[in-house]
Amino acid sequence: MTLKAYVALHGRQFGTLFGLIVLCAVMWILTPHFLTVSNLLNVAEQTAIIAIIAAGMTFVIITAGIDLSVGSVLAFSGVVLASLLQKGVPLVPALAIGIGVGFFTGVLNGLLITIGRLPPFIATLGMMSVARGAALLYTGGRPISGFSDSFRYLATGKPLGIPMPVLAMLAIFFMAYFLLTKTKLGRYTYAIGGNEEATILSGVNVRLYKTLIYGICGGLAGLAATILTARLNSAQPIAGMNYELDAIAATVIGGTSLMGGEGHVFGTLIGALIIGVLRNGLTLLNISSFAQQIIIGLVIIVAVLLDMALKKSRR
Amino acid sequence: MKKSLFIMSAAALLLFSVACQRNQATSDGRPTIALVVKTLNNPFFNDMQKGAEEAAKSLNVHLLVQAAEREVDVEKQMQIIENLIESKVSALCITPSGSKEIIPAIVKANKAGIPVVILDTRVNPEALAAANGKIAAFIGSDNLEGGRLAGELMVRTLGGKGKVAILEGIPGHETGDSRLKGFRQAVAGSPGIQIVSSQTANWERDQGYTVFQNMLQAHPDIQGLFACSDLMALGAVEAIRAAGKTGKITVIGFDAFSEAREAVRKGEMTATVAQFPADMGKIGVESAARLLKGERIQEEVTVKIQLITRDNLNSNKP
Repeated sequence: MTLKAYVALHGRQFGTLFGLIVLCAVMWILTPHFLTVSNLLNVAEQTAIIAIIAAGMTFVIITAGIDLSVGSVLAFSGVVLASLLQKGVPLVPALAIGIGVGFFTGVLNGLLITIGRLPPFIATLGMMSVARGAALLYTGGRPISGFSDSFRYLATGKPLGIPMPVLAMLAIFFMAYFLLTKTKLGRYTYAIGGNEEATILSGVNVRLYKTLIYGICGGLAGLAATILTARLNSAQPIAGMNYELDAIAATVIGGTSLMGGEGHVFGTLIGALIIGVLRNGLTLLNISSFAQQIIIGLVIIVAVLLDMALKKSRR
Repeated sequence: MKKSLFIMSAAALLLFSVACQRNQATSDGRPTIALVVKTLNNPFFNDMQKGAEEAAKSLNVHLLVQAAEREVDVEKQMQIIENLIESKVSALCITPSGSKEIIPAIVKANKAGIPVVILDTRVNPEALAAANGKIAAFIGSDNLEGGRLAGELMVRTLGGKGKVAILEGIPGHETGDSRLKGFRQAVAGSPGIQIVSSQTANWERDQGYTVFQNMLQAHPDIQGLFACSDLMALGAVEAIRAAGKTGKITVIGFDAFSEAREAVRKGEMTATVAQFPADMGKIGVESAARLLKGERIQEEVTVKIQLITRDNLNSNKP
């Protein structure tokens, strides 16, 4: 494949990558504090939690679905994990159960959608409230805080100078890339989003794969909960509010279509980084949080407009 | 070429909007003090910001003010603090969105050699010691005393007898927890006072409305309400109005910002406990500035607190 043909085929990711580079250049010009190793690691660390959730969201959105429950599932997984750790359950089983809670909540979403035939928006909207309520009920509304150093290493550790959340984020994205491009699950994910009827007719067990995909999305919310809990040294039942919107924004900025059938995890990573760089840079520039919201909103709109323009020009 | 034009115009738009918003350059030799509050869409923190700005002006220091969009978002607040550490501010004044959750951010500031002054909401002292964190000073109201003042007034107004409801803040916030504790201590001595319902409205006005509306449904004979913040109290005032019970329920709030004072004047609220956030902001910036000059400062400053009723409304302007 010639370079030109490759660019033509993968133009959308280059578009978002180009956007990220332009954004970084702008920040670099405006503030001397932006382009330092410690600040870039800082941005990556701050992006990790949303990016990990958004990786799962990408799978779901490629199937033309949506998962609004991830923020609440994060809170519920977090408080379950925290209470286990405080009861003295060893680290590995506690992590497995915490992430497992996320996975099973996701599977429940999947079952509601496949067996119960609910639209994903409705099923996960319901789960958003159920999981939030469960987290609040489980804790009586109070945060659970104070953990061992070995648990906190998951957020504070820096092997080879790279923060653990960043390593986790990279590992998740490479795994997600592998799953989406090299496995049956990945091919079916695109097929379901492209044409669900045709996929069913060609003999694929769509119910199974869809349920599994929502399970992955929930499990990644559980993993994000581990990192957030370790980072704040506290699990709050009110954590993760509106994270679903940030994750959807990152996915959409990254070029995944809400109509399903197309998308790319590395686009999502870039999308999450764009939001992270914006928030970081705008704080470094001391722009008020009110104006920040306007700017981030405009970037989402411009990114999708740009994406649509690129798509048109390729046809 | 249309698309690159499009990208460039988008980038230019962004650059332009950033440039317009950008505050003065910080590299003029003056020390930079950053004030990180919980949120800027609450009059309490707007007053704090005003006090801090006045102090910064008179001391000739540069002041940055930042906050998360939502009061409950301690992770976002932590990110803001990390970013400010990166931009090498000279000192930080923080009102923590979580008394324990903020500690990792304080430790990061300690490591960067940036002194931290805590305003309004106390950091959990045990957790801070466990994390080897250090704060230079705490400046805030005695919230326990404020809750007690409210409780004593409630007992007096109801004549020691009646059903009372409480609207709590977010559990785990030291300010709300202390107010609650103080109020409960003060009414505990009067067995005639019965607390029939105590629930959180998450510091928010709209939740204050709905939560108190539900309380009224369950207990139509509620005679008194203590709300741990005026925003929640004002939400409840609307619910009381909707139920046609304005003036029949003793409502005591906390913060005494202008709208609540107006409600006290109109008799919709009985009282509100005045804090002086502008003083907190002012003393916070002054303390930070003195620290930067190498002077010693008082490690704990209690800002005055006062019960505002109709009788003393006019003599206590904010």
